[in-house]
Amino acid sequence: MAEVKVKVQPPDADPVEIENRIIELCHQFPHGITDQVIQNEMPHIEAQQRAVAINRLLSMGQLDLLRSNTGLLYRIKDSQNAGKMKGSDNQEKLVYQIIEDAGNKGIWSRDIRYKSNLPLTEINKILKNLESKKLIKAVKSVAASKKKVYMLYNLQPDRSVTGGAWYSDQDFESEFVEVLNQQCFKFLQSKAEAARESKQNPMIQRNSSFASSHEVWKYICELGISKVELSMEDIETILNTLIYDGKVEMTIIAAKEGTVGSVDGHMKLYRAVNPIIPPTGLVRAPCGLCPVFDDCHEGGEISPSNCIYMTEWLEF
Amino acid sequence: MTQAEIKLCSLLLQEHFGEIVEKIGVHLIRTGSQPLRVIAHDTGTSLDQVKKALCVLVQHNLVSYQVHKRGVVEYEAQCSRVLRMLRYPRYIYTTKTLYSDTGELIVEELLLNGKLTMSTVVKKVADRLTETMEDGKTMDYAEVSNTFVRLADTHFVQRCPSVPTTENSDPGPPPPAPTLVINEKDMYLVPKLSLIGKGKRRRSSDEDAAGEPKAKRPKHTTDNKEPIPDDGIYWQANLDRFHQHFRDQAIVSAVANRMDQTSSEIVRTMLRMSEITTSSSAAFTQPLSSNEIFRSLPVGYNISKQVLDQYLTLLADDPLEFVGKSGDSGGGMYVINLHKALASLATATLESVVQERFGSRCARIFRLVLQKKHLEQKQVEDFAMIPAKEAKDMLYKMLSENFISLQVGCQ
Repeated sequence: MAEVKVKVQPPDADPVEIENRIIELCHQFPHGITDQVIQNEMPHIEAQQRAVAINRLLSMGQLDLLRSNTGLLYRIKDSQNAGKMKGSDNQEKLVYQIIEDAGNKGIWSRDIRYKSNLPLTEINKILKNLESKKLIKAVKSVAASKKKVYMLYNLQPDRSVTGGAWYSDQDFESEFVEVLNQQCFKFLQSKAEAARESKQNPMIQRNSSFASSHEVWKYICELGISKVELSMEDIETILNTLIYDGKVEMTIIAAKEGTVGSVDGHMKLYRAVNPIIPPTGLVRAPCGLCPVFDDCHEGGEISPSNCIYMTEWLEF
Repeated sequence: MTQAEIKLCSLLLQEHFGEIVEKIGVHLIRTGSQPLRVIAHDTGTSLDQVKKALCVLVQHNLVSYQVHKRGVVEYEAQCSRVLRMLRYPRYIYTTKTLYSDTGELIVEELLLNGKLTMSTVVKKVADRLTETMEDGKTMDYAEVSNTFVRLADTHFVQRCPSVPTTENSDPGPPPPAPTLVINEKDMYLVPKLSLIGKGKRRRSSDEDAAGEPKAKRPKHTTDNKEPIPDDGIYWQANLDRFHQHFRDQAIVSAVANRMDQTSSEIVRTMLRMSEITTSSSAAFTQPLSSNEIFRSLPVGYNISKQVLDQYLTLLADDPLEFVGKSGDSGGGMYVINLHKALASLATATLESVVQERFGSRCARIFRLVLQKKHLEQKQVEDFAMIPAKEAKDMLYKMLSENFISLQVGCQ
C-alpha cells in the first residue's frame, strides 16, 4: 500500500498569526531570540514560512536583526525609535543602527561603509539626510584633526574624542597645563617648607609635609584659575607630570572608606622633594653640553686644546 | 681599550715616568701580555732599558707578570690601573680631610713610590713635615707611626703580597719569577716596630765655602747603613678602599639632599660602622641594631633614643629605599641597601645629563619612559601632557643621540 503523503495544512499557518506569535516571543525575551527559539515554539511551520514572516516584520520596522556570537538574534524594536524612522528606508535605518551602536565614541564614515557594505556615495547621502533630520551629528576628533566621527545627536562625546579638560576646540592647552603644574608644585613646596620649619619630631614633620590629591584639588578649585571644572583625576594627571619632573614623590596609604578623598580604600599622598644629586660633573664642564662632542679629538680641527669654551671655562 | 684611553694612558705614563716607560707601557697595553724578549724586539729598545722600565711599572702595580709553563714569564699591563693615576690628587685630598697633613703625606709618598716599607715612609714623612714647621720644631716619628697605624686599621693602606717563606729548601732550580702571596689576615697587620727619632731638616750648608768643587758627596745614607727592621714588608695604597669611601660620601649627600642633616648623619654612622665588616661589592651592609647605632653616633650629637628610632623608621619607609629594616631584635635591625642606592644615584646622574643637555621637558619624557619601560607615542603625549608635535620632536631628538631606542612591536 503506497503511502500517501498528505500535506496537512496546520491550523495556524496563517502568516499574520505567525508574525504575531513571533512578536509575542520577542516581547517575552526583550534581549532577543534566535531562530532556534522560534522553531521550538512553532515546530510545525516550515522554515520558509518562518523566514517570510521574519522578513516582513523586519521590513515593517518592528523587529531588529542583530548578530551575536551564537547566530542571528531578532529583537523587538523600540516603538519610539520605530516612529522616528518612519519615512526612512532600510539603508538609512542600517546606517543609523551602526552609528547608534558606536555609542558616545562615534564612528568614522569609512567604518560605516565597511559595516554596512554600502557604496560611499550612498553613505554620504544618507549621512546628510540624517544630519538634517537632526538624528546624528558630526564631531571633530582630537586624535586626528581631519577626521570626523558621527554619533547620535543627543549624546555627549566621549573624552577620548574631545580630549577632555585639557583640550579646547581640539587644541591642547599647554599654557593652562603649565600654569596648573606650577601652582600644584608651589602648593606642595610651601607645605613641605612649613613642615620643615615647624621643627617638631621627625614623624610629624614628615606626615605634615604630605598633601592628599583631594587637598590639592580643593586648593586648585579655590584658586579659580580654571574656567573648566576639573575633577580629582585631572589633578592627579597633573601631579603625575610633576612626578615625571622629579619634583614630587607619591605614596599610597590605606584609608578608611568614607574619609574625604579616598578612592577604593586608599589615598594618594604627594610631597615636594629635592633632587638627590646636584647637576652632575659631566654637564658642568663644557663637554657635556657640546654639540660637536663626537667630532672632538686631539689633533683634529675640533680639539680640546683649541676649544674656546674650554678656555673660557678654565678662567674661572 | 679604546684609542682615546690608550692615548690618555700614554700621556699619563709620559708625564709621570718619561719616554722609555711610556713606550714600553703603551706597547704592552696595545698588544696584551708578552715575554721580555718579545717586548725588547718589538719596541726596538735594548734589553737593559726594557728591564728598567718594567721594574718601574711593576713597582707601581701598573704591570703584572705571570709564569707560564715552560718557564716563560709574560708581562701584562693593567690599563684601568694606569687610568687611576688621574685620581691620585683626589685620594690624597681625601686622606687630608680624614687624617690631616700627616695622613696626606703618607698616602702621597705611597702613591708616588708605588711600594714602600713602613719605616721608610715614616722617615720621609717626618722629614717633610719638619721642613714645613717652624725653626726648632721637629716632627716625632711616633706621631707619624700612629697615623700610619690608623690608616692601616681603616684599610686605606695595605701590605703588598710578598715572597712566601719556604720551610724546606727546594732542591730544584728557583722559578724564573717569584709568585707573590699575601694572607688575608696579614693584609693590614702593622709590624711591631719601635721607630724612635725625629724628622731631620735637609742640611743647607753643603758646599764648601771656598768654592772648590768638591767631589760629589755620597748621599746622606748614614741611616741606610743600619738594617731596616721591617725589610721585606712593603705597603701600598688601597685604592678600592678610597672608592668605597667616595661611594659612601655620595650616599650620605644624597640622603642629606632628600631628607635632612640628621638623617644623613645617621646614615654616615651606619656606613662607618660597616666600613670594615662589609665587602665593597656587597649588596647590603651587615645588619646593625638600633642600640649599636645609638652608641656609635658622633659625640655631641645628642638626640634621644626615641628620636633616633623615629628617624630610622622614616629612613626605612622612605620611597628612596636606601635603608631597610631586616629584623626587630636589639631595637630594630637596619641595613643599608647599597645596590639600590648606587642604582638610584646612577639613574639620577643620567636624568641630570638629559636635563642639562636637552631641557626639562625632555627630562620629563625621559623619566617617564624610564619608569614605564615601554610606551607608545600617544601614551607619551598623554602622560607627560606635552602637545603632540613637541613631544614627537623631543622624542626624535633623544632618539638621534641614542638616549632612547625604538622597538617595533607587532600590531
